[in-house]
Amino acid sequence: MFDKILIANRGEIALRILRACKELGISTVAVHSTADADAMHVRLADESVCIGPPPSKDSYLNVPALLAACEITGADAVHPGYGFLSENARFAEILAEHNLHFIGPKAEHIRLMGDKIEAKKTAKRLGIPVVPGSDGAVAPGDDAMAIAKEIGFPVLVKAAAGGGGRGMKVAQTAQDLALALSTAANEARSAFGDASVYLEKYLQKPRHIEIQVLGDGRGGAIHLGERDCSLQRRHQKVWEEGPSPALDAAQRNRIGGIVAKAMQEMKYLGVGTVEFLYEDGEFYFIEMNTRIQVEHPVTEMITGIDLVLEQIRIAAGGDLPATQDQVQVNGHAIECRVNAENPVTFRPSPGKILQYHPPGGLGVRIDSAVYQGYVIPPYYDSLVGKLIVHGKTRAECLMRLRRALDEMVVEGIETTLPLFRALVREADIIDGDYHIHWLEQYLAGQTAT
Amino acid sequence: MARQPEDKAAAKFATSDGALIRELALLLDETSLTEIEIERAGLRVRVARNVSIAASLPAAAPIAVAPAAAPAGASAPAAAADFSKHPGAVPSPMVGTAYWAPEPGAKPFIEVGSKVSAGQTLLIIEAMKTMNQIPSPRAGTVTQILVEDGQPVEFGEPLVIIE
Repeated sequence: MFDKILIANRGEIALRILRACKELGISTVAVHSTADADAMHVRLADESVCIGPPPSKDSYLNVPALLAACEITGADAVHPGYGFLSENARFAEILAEHNLHFIGPKAEHIRLMGDKIEAKKTAKRLGIPVVPGSDGAVAPGDDAMAIAKEIGFPVLVKAAAGGGGRGMKVAQTAQDLALALSTAANEARSAFGDASVYLEKYLQKPRHIEIQVLGDGRGGAIHLGERDCSLQRRHQKVWEEGPSPALDAAQRNRIGGIVAKAMQEMKYLGVGTVEFLYEDGEFYFIEMNTRIQVEHPVTEMITGIDLVLEQIRIAAGGDLPATQDQVQVNGHAIECRVNAENPVTFRPSPGKILQYHPPGGLGVRIDSAVYQGYVIPPYYDSLVGKLIVHGKTRAECLMRLRRALDEMVVEGIETTLPLFRALVREADIIDGDYHIHWLEQYLAGQTAT
Repeated sequence: MARQPEDKAAAKFATSDGALIRELALLLDETSLTEIEIERAGLRVRVARNVSIAASLPAAAPIAVAPAAAPAGASAPAAAADFSKHPGAVPSPMVGTAYWAPEPGAKPFIEVGSKVSAGQTLLIIEAMKTMNQIPSPRAGTVTQILVEDGQPVEFGEPLVIIE
């Protein structure tokens, strides 16, 4: 087991990782930019090292500074969290070259799944159903129109180096294709340094359903059920829940089994999430995330398995915490990502939290690094915290969520709490009857009135 | 103060009575008490600390997890914090280990009182086997060297004072 873990991240996930380390008796090193000197996890860590000024590229993405911090503290492992360097295969390799453990998947799998075209080819090869689309990248010389017509309009132009909801443009009809192709390629080049694009069938009203997996790196892998993350704004998840209101046990076991088998074949190491679009009873692979995800608490609440703890255990050579038969899904969980944004315009609202009161009680969990008096810096994401609620049934969970949202107080900054209080009272949400365009349509309807 | 111990009790003082006083001192640190006095078996012990007035204590309820510095110790961290605000402070531009000299056994780059010009090397900070020379941002006199030879430093940590 590791002696000392350096947490190469910030905010709520850094605190999350710190908590798992403490429960495992592992020493913690918190690295931070000057803007995060007062962060909660920095205060709680055994040691802290300031690694740079506020900009991420000079601090949280600064590989030499991270390596130097490992050197002066004697850390033997690095947990990258999510975002930042968590899916940077080169970073994983550099750590290995310096005899440091990277708590995450093998570099080859990070690289494989980071290229969205290769990921799709791999998924197809492993028997995972995929979205009908172009066979690989669409080069400028290719007959994109013919490919698109074969897929059938509308089509989605996607950046090969994209992911996380970025680098996508819709072409509703043949007339829109040329513009969508050039816009997507240009955006991809400036955002990801790679203009390669591919085409996929654009599904009209799919749900976003993802499967959580855990692999021991030696051919053992299990799935931990699904999360439904259909409620998104600009491709960013806002509300996640598990199990999905749209699936039954048979469907869950079927897709979960396919995914687990694929991970076994790959000899996948650590946590991962295989994301699908689901429409009319069919699953379509879109991408795989080779890291711990923001919404992991949903799965933790319904399975009772501590995913971050297991990440660390598995990275240190440990076994999976359960066999597939032992994995039980109990009850229902919903997570709301509370952001420091205006609930109508979504304009960011960094600043000082003057009053903070988190909700409590049975089945209520807050994953947040804020506290009363904390100043949310303007340099990073706007997440205030995640409110996660568990109930024996989805109905009980919704009631508990309603109660918890009404109890929660965050004053001094604007937050999206009012949005969640409205959503939890919406008929479609209560019925679980929504898809990936639902939230944007709802928001457009709100501003229109 | 403990009463003057008898000769045969003197040896015991180093152990059990000393341990008692140490324990009482610890209790003072852990609680917000300023004075503890106990008497047992003919021995009366009083342990007290100088109190600095409330002005130096935080007005709002301190966050539970932030270790509140005992007033006695308040001067040390306050002094260290002062240097980063000092106008002559030269902050570290990187994370690594600071060395006074170009190599072990060699003469240090500077000492207190040295006159330096802008760009002159003050220290080396080593990270992952690479030696990085840290230049002085201005001309002046070295009035303080704030890091030990071989001390790990973080980004922004004050290294020397040049005035």
